[in-house]
Amino acid sequence: MINLQTRRNQTGAVSAGSLRFLVGIVVFIAALAGIAYFWLQSENAPNLAWMAWTKPTAIFFSIIVCLLLCMCIWEAFSPGGGPRTGILQFETTRGDRLFLSLLGSGFIHLAWLAFVGPDLWKALGVSIAYALLVFALV
Amino acid sequence: MDKPLNNKAWFFVLPVFFLVAISAIIPLMTVVNYSFQDTFGNNQFFWVGTEWYTDVLSSSRFHDALLRNLMFSGIILAIEIPLGIAIALSMPRKGIWVPVCLILMALPLLIPWNVVGTIWQVFGRADIGLLGHTLAELGVDYNYATNATDAWITIVIMDVWHWTSLVVLLCYSGLVAIPEAYYQAARIDGASKWKVFRYIQLPKMQRVLLIAVLLRFMDSFMIYTEPFVLTGGGPGNSTTFLSIDLVKMAIGQFDLGPAAAMSIIYFLIILLLCWVFYTLMTNFGVDAPEKEVD
Repeated sequence: MINLQTRRNQTGAVSAGSLRFLVGIVVFIAALAGIAYFWLQSENAPNLAWMAWTKPTAIFFSIIVCLLLCMCIWEAFSPGGGPRTGILQFETTRGDRLFLSLLGSGFIHLAWLAFVGPDLWKALGVSIAYALLVFALV
Repeated sequence: MDKPLNNKAWFFVLPVFFLVAISAIIPLMTVVNYSFQDTFGNNQFFWVGTEWYTDVLSSSRFHDALLRNLMFSGIILAIEIPLGIAIALSMPRKGIWVPVCLILMALPLLIPWNVVGTIWQVFGRADIGLLGHTLAELGVDYNYATNATDAWITIVIMDVWHWTSLVVLLCYSGLVAIPEAYYQAARIDGASKWKVFRYIQLPKMQRVLLIAVLLRFMDSFMIYTEPFVLTGGGPGNSTTFLSIDLVKMAIGQFDLGPAAAMSIIYFLIILLLCWVFYTLMTNFGVDAPEKEVD
């Protein structure tokens, strides 16, 4: 029997401090993205061809950034990181669970490439199922 | 007691965030980008999808290097941990010899890694090196540059010479932290030296031993400089570890795509090990009841 000992903040309401923090994060990232965009459009823009950006890799990193933003929003609504003891028998926060999900997904994709084939959509499905399990049980 | 949350502290993290972004995140993003493309230089790239990953994962070159790395780490741990414990147990706990022993133990750790490689390269040469010349005089056919077994033995002995001190110092710190009352109780019970070690010293050293094992495993798994200076990965590929193979592929052959894919796989393995390391360090022994001494 899995014993999920949860001691997360049960208040439910978003505190003013957390809301300010959240707004600050969003404003900071928006400002950073804006500055970067206009700088890259200007005449003095550095040549970033060496970074070899492609649409798929840009989407991949955008999803990672979005996931981190979602974690910030979650933290604002439920501060404290939601620590609990799951099947691994030690305390994990939701940040730990995201890290485990992403790391495990990386290995699932590599294992899929090595043993099944280059079609990674099914591997993505397995990874999402794995991530849901991690967030539910770990 | 509820602690007030003050998110203003996050602003102090900003300088570090920018430093990490420049030194780690941007290069990592670039490596990910390269791992899905092929290039012939001049910033021209061609999308190849997951081809490099499939190539690396199915290449015997990668498997062999990974196996060599794991074998090397296993040998290193099997030698350095027992040897480190033995030396720490034989070191004096008080008196004038304590600082002398500690300084002697710390000396190899202060030598830069490439210098260690150079020292052993010269030391093992049959014409000018003390070790190589002595072995040649004794009639032992030893040549680390042409014989794979000799190269492995030399690299292992070099690593043991360089890093056992770390295990010794960690174990010693664990030993001197044991209160005298434990030894007094053992003497009253008439415990033998082995039982004192088995039931008092070893359990009390568990935490530092865990740090030693994990540090040495991580370090030996990422080893590059010493074997590169000593053997350059040879003879043949017998001492080509993952890091050496990676550099050969990226800089020697300018195969940036496969090298980037291999970097990402290597990075994921290291990241997993780091997580295990961090988790064990932070959770080991937490709330665990102390075992009774027999």
